Amino acid sequence: MASLQEPWLLETGNLKGCSKEIRHGRTAHNMSSSSLRKKSDLTLVSKVRFVLLRQFLTNLQEVILGTKLSVLFPAIPLAIVAECYGFGRPWIFALSLLGLTPLAERVSFLTEQIAYYTGPTVGGLLNATCGNATELIIAIFALSQHKIDVVKYSLLGSVLSNLLLVLGTSLFCGGIANLRREQKYDRRQADVNSLLLLLALLCHSLPLLFRMSGASAALTADPTLQLSRASSIVMLIAYISYLVFQLFTHRQLFEAQEQSEDDEGISEEEPVIGFWSGFIWLVGMTAVISLLSEYVVETIEDASDSWGISVSFISIILLPIVGNAAEHAGAVIFAFKNKLDISLGVALGSATQIAMFVVPLCIVVAWIMGIKMDLNFNLLETGSLALSIIAVAFTLQDGTSHYLKGLVLLLLYIVIGACFFVSKTPLSNGIDTVVGA
Amino acid sequence: MESAGEYSRMENGGDSKKSATGKESWNNGIRTAQNMSTSLLRKKSDPLLVSKVRFQMLRQLLANLQEVILGTKLAVLFPAIPLAIAADFYEFGRHWIFALSLLGLMPLAERVSFLTEQIAYYTGPTVGGLLNATCGNATELIIALFALYQSKIHVLKYSLLGSILSNLLLVLGSSLLCGGLANLKKEQRYDRKQADVNSLLLLLGLLCHMLPLMFRYAATPGVLVAESTLQLSRASSLVMLVAYIGYIIFQLKTHRQIFDAQEDEGEEEEKAVMGFWSGFSWLVGMTLVIALLSEYVVGTIEAASESWGISISFISIILIPIVGNAAEHAGAIIFAFKNKLDISLGVALGSATQISMFAVPLCVVVGWIMSVQMDLDFNLLETACLALTILVVAFTLQDGTSHYMKGIVLCLCYAAIAACFFVHKIPAPLEQINLNVRLKPSFESSV
Repeated sequence: MASLQEPWLLETGNLKGCSKEIRHGRTAHNMSSSSLRKKSDLTLVSKVRFVLLRQFLTNLQEVILGTKLSVLFPAIPLAIVAECYGFGRPWIFALSLLGLTPLAERVSFLTEQIAYYTGPTVGGLLNATCGNATELIIAIFALSQHKIDVVKYSLLGSVLSNLLLVLGTSLFCGGIANLRREQKYDRRQADVNSLLLLLALLCHSLPLLFRMSGASAALTADPTLQLSRASSIVMLIAYISYLVFQLFTHRQLFEAQEQSEDDEGISEEEPVIGFWSGFIWLVGMTAVISLLSEYVVETIEDASDSWGISVSFISIILLPIVGNAAEHAGAVIFAFKNKLDISLGVALGSATQIAMFVVPLCIVVAWIMGIKMDLNFNLLETGSLALSIIAVAFTLQDGTSHYLKGLVLLLLYIVIGACFFVSKTPLSNGIDTVVGA
Repeated sequence: MESAGEYSRMENGGDSKKSATGKESWNNGIRTAQNMSTSLLRKKSDPLLVSKVRFQMLRQLLANLQEVILGTKLAVLFPAIPLAIAADFYEFGRHWIFALSLLGLMPLAERVSFLTEQIAYYTGPTVGGLLNATCGNATELIIALFALYQSKIHVLKYSLLGSILSNLLLVLGSSLLCGGLANLKKEQRYDRKQADVNSLLLLLGLLCHMLPLMFRYAATPGVLVAESTLQLSRASSLVMLVAYIGYIIFQLKTHRQIFDAQEDEGEEEEKAVMGFWSGFSWLVGMTLVIALLSEYVVGTIEAASESWGISISFISIILIPIVGNAAEHAGAIIFAFKNKLDISLGVALGSATQISMFAVPLCVVVGWIMSVQMDLDFNLLETACLALTILVVAFTLQDGTSHYMKGIVLCLCYAAIAACFFVHKIPAPLEQINLNVRLKPSFESSV
């Protein structure tokens, strides 16, 4: 490996990533998805004669084949083929979904590689912004096609999936695997995240109750929109201060645990690709994600019609499971190893990011585009969100864990899934469904 | 300063023998969180000017006057009071009367707190604590009673709710924020038992508010529930008053040690600066002026709302409580800077509990006596704001430590609620329509 590093180091100039900083850049997000990586076997490539070709092939192998999820990569060209040759639209939907799964993981990997070069703070910021790139891109495409309900449902589903499904399975598997040991985690991180989620809940509830207590739909539509926009700015301010809190003033609460002595294989890691190649790969992958997301958003109604499942179920349950698959697996693996802080960091961090950054960002983008998107996610969805946040805040407030906590959170998710399975709300394009008088 | 104290002791006669011996215990008992917070806005009077006046009685009177009128940094706002009265007589714009009365109320609220503390030096710790508990939020109570008297029930409900929200979110949030920023390197701890007791009482208050509200929604349509809701509210008010009395006994008699303000090493033994009867007459006088200004405020609120273009709910929920609470607010922030979070929490939570468990049920009972239809149903949006606020605050304070992020979240919650009521332009008569609103499940309401 060492000989191959040199050309990259020469290409990128000064390598800022000395060992201490690399350790500090390893946030929970990074560490969780790193468990899905596999070390590339470079013996095949080293037989190629030309140096440049060898470099290129190494790069390719590292990026494309560097994960166990790469078996799903063929779905991407298949989806494009299906679109071009006019196969059944549900097929395009399914293949795009499958293709998104490894792409999301690779984006996380590339972000981590770039973070080696930019230092811990910018790396943390990059992670905070790109960590949920898939959800953000899907949401913006749905917004541009005026499918506001899909936006709301998919973002809500991401929050619910992170809070209940990822967290529940992690706590459950971790509890079963560590039945004899005591499982503790630092509750201060969980407290800060729960507090931000409660603020998000308040900002979601106010427009909903405003509509419900108002005189008529026509009279309250405009004030609700203004209120939602003001609340979005409030939430973005809270998110920025959370970043300052997490990356500058109170780092010690959030740092991933140091890998201890008895660890199997994760030694001091160095970046495996150069800065510019990582950047180019990132841009390329984001473009492919955009393409697949566009397919997903366009074909969602057809898939719903032909499979007989409601659009709300697909948006709230199916899409987030796919988008989150890599982080989900990583969180479960770390819970098995009794490193609950990392699992919690992944699950809660993602939920906070989506609730306090992606959702208000979509509203601001809609504001700029002149689309009337507000924070009123309707009664059933907001009620599910409220109960989930309260349940999770209560679960995590004592700093210990056992498998029953995970089981309860999982069952909560199943109940909410069942609820949306049977609720067949038709999509309305841009007009909010009126609740109450 | 000594001479003024001496004269007042001679004036009071029999109190002098108590004054020397029991002073340490009085100071321990009387310096509750609220006293200590507003004491920061005092300034020591400079007696040199007064001592040049020749006649003794005149000198006493002037010393007294200086102590009371000029003894606070908020005294710059005192000229607003005669201006407000002049505006009322000479028929200036009604919104001017409103603004000037609001400005005049700020120093008055602080002076009443000062006078209560002075009187408490003479009456002993228990009665002093009771006086503080009752008069601590005198301004809000008087505004509420005037609104009740003028049958402006929605102004009454909104202003009391706004006081609770302001104490729980704005005062507490800004204290935690400033304290966190000023003490970034230190660990900030506080005794969570006090916060727990207050959170529990606030949850009881929340239940008593939600039952009449849900009662109205749960009744079959067509059945008039106003009468039952009123009876339920009155019964709940009695329950809340019983809880408040239990809280007073808990705070002043059996579990004092949880609530005692921390001793400050640098401050000397403070003595009363005026006599009992002079303090009492000043208190009565100031209460009368507060009553007058409150009458102006309640009378001109609609005119101010129209001419400024802001809804009545925003003025009642946000503006009036900020004004009424200004002195305590400043004090709580200053104590948080010094990392004395117990005092800041005592001020904020204590005021919120007082209003929720004492002022609100008292208004319902007074309304009962006056045969005004005041109930505990504060409407869906307001009750939901209260519920979420209490939930967020209870969760924030339950671990006993603090950092600036908690303060930021609480302040932003307040900003969101303020934005909500800023756009909430429901004129008063439309409230009656809420009786017919039913909650429909969302999947039935397809377009």
